Amino acid sequence: MNSTIPSEAPKLTAATSGFVLAASITVLLNTALACVKDAYVPLKSFMRSLAGHDWTTQGLIDLLLFVGLGFIFMRTGVAEKINSNRLIGGLIAAVAIAGLGLALWYAVF
Amino acid sequence: MHISNSDVLLMAHAAAGVTGGLAALWVFVEVLNVRPANMGRVQAAALLSAVCMAAAWISGGYWYVHFYPAERALILKGPWPFAHTLFMETKEHLFFITAILAFLLPLTTREELSANPAARKLVLSTAALIVITGLALEGAGAIIDHGVKVALLQNAFTRAQQ
Repeated sequence: MNSTIPSEAPKLTAATSGFVLAASITVLLNTALACVKDAYVPLKSFMRSLAGHDWTTQGLIDLLLFVGLGFIFMRTGVAEKINSNRLIGGLIAAVAIAGLGLALWYAVF
Repeated sequence: MHISNSDVLLMAHAAAGVTGGLAALWVFVEVLNVRPANMGRVQAAALLSAVCMAAAWISGGYWYVHFYPAERALILKGPWPFAHTLFMETKEHLFFITAILAFLLPLTTREELSANPAARKLVLSTAALIVITGLALEGAGAIIDHGVKVALLQNAFTRAQQ
């Protein structure tokens, strides 16, 4: 009988997993915001009034979301509980959906 | 010869973007054969990618807000209006995704990559996504540029015929 106990595979740290999850959410919300502001002009005007241009405001929102969510997920350890492969797959899927979603939105509308 | 501020900003944006993408490719290649000895290079290249994307954001953003409206008007009146309606609209929002990934990259390279296969997979995936989306941005940039060119050629051709 093999008495050796298999050691647990190394996981991602709370900081890394937190910011990976934050990045996945941010890229999806970035695409959602781009579509919504395009479809709803008052939102675009409001965003323009905040920083002089809706694109500038959107960039600042993305940065704040990424950093803010990253720190929240790091402190709470929420993302650390997610399996590493799922976290990585989620990031790849989020980028693919967000990128193709943008192209599709501007191609169709 | 006259090189305007607009030209300098636009070239700086493209150069910083390409350098950021190449730095991400450098990270990818280093991590394929990662060991403690090359971790310094991995982290330096990841930081370079993030700094270059930040520079591309600032230079491109300033150019887009202050100088692009004139080119947009030209593109929309020319034979390739989709250079703005599809390619620029997609590019200006896709850029945020590439930039966020580039800011994530240095954080992921703080892991002990040679001993952690999950972290290695994460860095390889993030770097590859930066390269792929970066190439899409560069391609879109070329199409936008060509949209301006064909609009100017059309104007010149119309004037020559009059």
